[in-house]
Amino acid sequence: MTTATPTAAAATGRPRKGRAGSEEAHRLMPTPLLAVLTTLLCLMVLIPVAYIVLASLNSDAGVASGEFWPSSFSAQSYTLIWSTVGLSKALVNSLIVAGAVAIASALLAVPTAYVLVRYAFRGRVTILRGLLGFQSIPGTLMLLPVFVLFSSLGSTLGIAIIGTLWGLFIAYLTFAMPFSTWVMVTYLRGLPRELEEAARIDGASNVQILARIIFPLSGPAIVVSGIFAFLLGWNDVLFASVMTRPDTHTAAVALQVFGASMEGGAIPVYSQMMAAALVCAAPVVILYFVFQRYLVGGLTAGSVK
Amino acid sequence: MSSATAPEAGQGVAAPAAAPGPAGPRPASKKVKPLSKRQRPLWMLIPGGVLMTFIIVIPFLIGVWISLTDLDQYTLRRWLSAPFVGLANYVESLSAGLPAAIWISLSFAIISTIVTVPIGVAAAIVTQNKYKGRALIRAIFLIPYVLPSFVVATVWRTMLQPDGIVNILLNKAGIGDQLWLSGSTAYWTLILVEIWAAWPFIYLLALSGLQSVDSEVHEASALDGASWWPKLRYIVLPYLKGPLALAFLLATLNHINNFTLPFVLFGAPAPESVNVMPMIVYVTSFQSLRFGLSAAMAIVSLIIIAIPLFIYLRAVRLDVHEEGGK
Repeated sequence: MTTATPTAAAATGRPRKGRAGSEEAHRLMPTPLLAVLTTLLCLMVLIPVAYIVLASLNSDAGVASGEFWPSSFSAQSYTLIWSTVGLSKALVNSLIVAGAVAIASALLAVPTAYVLVRYAFRGRVTILRGLLGFQSIPGTLMLLPVFVLFSSLGSTLGIAIIGTLWGLFIAYLTFAMPFSTWVMVTYLRGLPRELEEAARIDGASNVQILARIIFPLSGPAIVVSGIFAFLLGWNDVLFASVMTRPDTHTAAVALQVFGASMEGGAIPVYSQMMAAALVCAAPVVILYFVFQRYLVGGLTAGSVK
Repeated sequence: MSSATAPEAGQGVAAPAAAPGPAGPRPASKKVKPLSKRQRPLWMLIPGGVLMTFIIVIPFLIGVWISLTDLDQYTLRRWLSAPFVGLANYVESLSAGLPAAIWISLSFAIISTIVTVPIGVAAAIVTQNKYKGRALIRAIFLIPYVLPSFVVATVWRTMLQPDGIVNILLNKAGIGDQLWLSGSTAYWTLILVEIWAAWPFIYLLALSGLQSVDSEVHEASALDGASWWPKLRYIVLPYLKGPLALAFLLATLNHINNFTLPFVLFGAPAPESVNVMPMIVYVTSFQSLRFGLSAAMAIVSLIIIAIPLFIYLRAVRLDVHEEGGK
């Protein structure tokens, strides 16, 4: 304890002084090269993005005639897609499933991670390793067995699972759980134990400790794991393409079906494609930029997209 | 510090040994360090555990069983009593295009990773130093990563249509157009779009690696008068070895497992040249309806993925033991 404190103080004290002093020393590259690289990278990202936005604000005929810059701007495509793509129903489905998965997985992850971090038991390390391993199991491997399991369970119990949002919810929840739990594990490991110990001495039960201490302190990690669970549900095409009917299509499937069906048509509806794609991306982009400062740390903690 | 917090902290850390008060019955010898073995609320593992058993472990076992049977659309309802064929599906998968799919997947994944690593590192280096507008540049760099994969695939599919904007621009430049989404060109299209979408992942991991370079290192090399390239090459980049090894592994796994991009970009069935492992498994199940064969292919692809995965798990195990490791 006593030997650790001075070195810790020195370590935190010194770099701060240095950082303020010499910006120049930290330079990794001459400015002209830096400017060239930055410009190239930005162009690589922004040229396609600019075209997507411009095309969505163009008319279908304008895009088909090869305009990069629209001859006349209109939001027409943004009004058409609600009837042509059936996007409103699909967006609602996606929001329900992805939102429910986000909430459920974040809430389930806290107790699981709490036990894994604070208590020793046989199989603990195996479970921790399994949490990481599960994240890399290809969805294509699980799709068929899950499909078979759900359909035979459904016919045994006399309820429909395939084709409903419930089926999707359970599937996504399970695939979100390993990641959410891992995010919580890395977070809880950094929480000091003193508060819990104090509460335990005051006679708090495990459930009380979880509800009154762990949950309130875990805000940032709950946000991160919730958002990643949401993205998992929102971005999935694989399960949704097999386990939904037209009225339970998620946004991803609706967009994909629209894209595949429009190509047979005489007039390409590229402008509507771009508008619909941007609308599907909007909730995700908004989530990222609202919670940006939590997410970048979480990315490197959990790591698999 | 203050008198208000002292008793609390004292009780939490050191008091059990000294205080035989109301907390007496609790065994007092336990220090804070080792993980507790008392009052373990292991039941809290049940909800998550049941879910993961039900949707991951059991289906995995079902998948192994299906791969040993000749399950098709006629026997699907009675999958438990489907005809058992042993390893016949595995043998058949060798002649049903699986070796080609493995080759396509691996080469696609490795090329994509090799190209994205320098781009990501360069992006991390140019945003490492503070300057006006850096936050905006960082936000721009994240755009491809933030956009959902199915959106990226949809917009590129639209732009790469035979009469799409890419061909129009190429024609104007006098290069001549291409059929991007079919034939053997599709393979390079897949790689290009994957690179466009995936490099920010490397960027983020490289950025966190750069931030671990001590300030002293920068100052020492400035004092030595090191010019930028030797400094970057011999002093800063070695710091990135660990993060980049991890990034390389994870990015390659992500590329191999990517189903959404080829599926939305090319549709199913995909052109021969982009029939990656996830695509061939999907098409064999849900279009050819050869469930047994498809399950066998899926198991083989899992075995291939397991190799980098195993290396990854070995590498991360160190972090499990280290307290507070990110």
